[in-house]
Amino acid sequence: MKFLKLFKNSQVFKLALGVAILVVCYFGSKFFSQMQKLNSTLELIAKSNETQLELEKLLSIINSYDYSLRNYIITKDESYLQNRFLNRGIIEEGIKKLKVLTANDSLRSKDIQTLEKLINYRFKLFRETLIAAKSSNVDQLGLNSKLKRSNDYTEMMKMFVYKIINSERLKTKFENSNHQFELQDSLITAFLLIILSLLILLLSFNKTNIDVEELRQANDKLKLLNESFNSAEKTAGFGHWMVNLETDEYTFSDNLYRLMGVEPNAFEANLENSIKYFHPDDLEYVSKVHKDSLLNQQSTSIVFRFLTPNNEIKYIMGVGSFTKDGNGNLIKIGVNYDITNEYKKTLELEENNKELKYINTELESFNNIVSHDLQEPLRKIQMFISRLEEKEFDSLSQQGIDYFSKIRIAANRMQTLLIDLVDYSRTIKGDKVFVETDLNKILTDTIQDLATNIEEKNAVIQIGKLPTIKAIPFQLKQLFINLVSNSLKYTKDDVPPQISVFSNEIADEEIFEYKIANKEDFYKIVISDNGIGFKQEYSDKIFLLFKRLETDAKYAGTGLGLAICNRIVDNHKGFIKVKSSPNEGANFYVFLPKGDLI
Amino acid sequence: MIAHQDPMHILLADDDEDDRAFFSEAITELKMDNKLTLFEDGKGLMDYLLNPDIKLPHILFLDLNMPGKTGLDCLKEIRANSRFKDVSVAIYSTSSSEKDIEDTFIEGANIYIKKPNDFSMLKKVIKEVINMNWQFHTSGLNIETFFFSI
Repeated sequence: MKFLKLFKNSQVFKLALGVAILVVCYFGSKFFSQMQKLNSTLELIAKSNETQLELEKLLSIINSYDYSLRNYIITKDESYLQNRFLNRGIIEEGIKKLKVLTANDSLRSKDIQTLEKLINYRFKLFRETLIAAKSSNVDQLGLNSKLKRSNDYTEMMKMFVYKIINSERLKTKFENSNHQFELQDSLITAFLLIILSLLILLLSFNKTNIDVEELRQANDKLKLLNESFNSAEKTAGFGHWMVNLETDEYTFSDNLYRLMGVEPNAFEANLENSIKYFHPDDLEYVSKVHKDSLLNQQSTSIVFRFLTPNNEIKYIMGVGSFTKDGNGNLIKIGVNYDITNEYKKTLELEENNKELKYINTELESFNNIVSHDLQEPLRKIQMFISRLEEKEFDSLSQQGIDYFSKIRIAANRMQTLLIDLVDYSRTIKGDKVFVETDLNKILTDTIQDLATNIEEKNAVIQIGKLPTIKAIPFQLKQLFINLVSNSLKYTKDDVPPQISVFSNEIADEEIFEYKIANKEDFYKIVISDNGIGFKQEYSDKIFLLFKRLETDAKYAGTGLGLAICNRIVDNHKGFIKVKSSPNEGANFYVFLPKGDLI
Repeated sequence: MIAHQDPMHILLADDDEDDRAFFSEAITELKMDNKLTLFEDGKGLMDYLLNPDIKLPHILFLDLNMPGKTGLDCLKEIRANSRFKDVSVAIYSTSSSEKDIEDTFIEGANIYIKKPNDFSMLKKVIKEVINMNWQFHTSGLNIETFFFSI
């Protein structure tokens, strides 16, 4: 496994291949030198053989001359002396050949020189013997001694030549065995060379195979990735393009073509061909931004429109950035994102927003009408009522007085309603500024505001310590005013009202009942009274707008007070709950978050 | 300081005829030694005030919602002129909107009165305001004490 891993590592493989090639080179050169050596040995042997041959040839020529001379002496037949007798030409040729053959061997060259001298002397002896034999008065004794000397000399020459031949033979034999050994050596080298070459070939083949397989797998992966990328682009409404700044070559992704409203590769990817798919009004701007960016190589981010062949307008968000490809060429990559839906939604939202703003303005003016224009005549009515009551009371009949009192009650009720309406609309308005608010101070102010009412009812108010929270102060004051007024309103006739306002720990069962994630997240403020109370089943209904419980006519309400409370608590990301039962009083729980309100 | 031996001179600028009548009746019924001058719009008021020959009033009751020159416009003009620095300005309006209260407070009005809906209440308010120790009221003035309540 480790080996395979090493094998797969192309760096290691390259190193191994290099070493192997070096080894092959070494063996190859060794083989070559061995072959050369073998060749020179062979040459040496051949030379030696030829030298031996030439030497023997020389000897045989000398011998043949000797025989011819003897035959002549015996027979006196002149024909023995013909047939190129004592022709030195052949000898000279042999000597020359020998000189060439032994040129590299100084010792042997000397031997040949000695041989030449010997031969020269032998020829002198031939000539002297022939002269002695040819003379008319043959000195038989002198001739005999000459022949004897010739014979001895020939023998000596023979001995010399055989000595040389022997030494040559010895040399040949040595060289031959050397040759045998070198031949074996070369065979081993050659074998090794072949084996090694085969091994390298096999390894390379295997490696190539593995590489090809890896390449194929990588290619498959790339293909798959490309496909998934393509489908991702299609799903997400993305398209991308690239331009090589060196070659000015453009590449468009499949989905970019689709964004332009054509099939992938419908035209050759370049700037000129894509121009007609841009909205004519955007073309100048888009090409200016693009061309400028190619000059200063700054990233771009633009919104423009494609106009497809079906005359469909697509809003496109395009971002472009620069990078370098594998070859170090600067390229610009752009991603285009179809934001048509978002754009349309934004338009719709803007439209809705406009409408909402309009409605808000309407509400504002309605609010103004209620708070000022409606109250103005009402106030006049109330003023005139008070004038009449003061000045003309005595001249009214009993029925007139009754009617009058009803007018006053109706007018007052209308005033309360108008005030509540203004209060309610104020809780809806957007300008809410949250500041650190001490609820103790808010409650003190509330009780001061309600002092007359409290006095009239003879109520006892108990106050506990309240927290300081981030809130909209006037809304929280409104909340307390409404809740305390509520408790002051729904009282039992015979029992002096007792109202308590305090903050309390959130009980465990409340965590469950009101689905509070963490009881440390909220403050709980309790407003409890000993009033007439109501059935628990109405506990949700009482916080709804204009929902009034069916109570005695004397408990006149607008149906807005608790709806305002609900609204205010909601504005503060809290919630309001109530626990009550008939004649048992009511406990209002206001839960306000402790954290920052956003 | 304006000497109090003289009968107190009070101005009221209000475009509503009925309100002027109520105010005038209330002053009469209070039987205080006061001189009341009425104006039906901001222009009339300012024309009167800018006349250098007149004796400056002690208190000016100023309605906000008037045609032409509004009460706030008048207030700005008055507070921009150092000649009127001793004139107490009481805003006298139907509105009790935060914005009106804040704006007039910032522009230097001394007190903000919401028009009462009961005549006896009106008399009470006027009596209180006229008898108010302005120096004391002004030195401790803040947005809460600015809004007059009985």
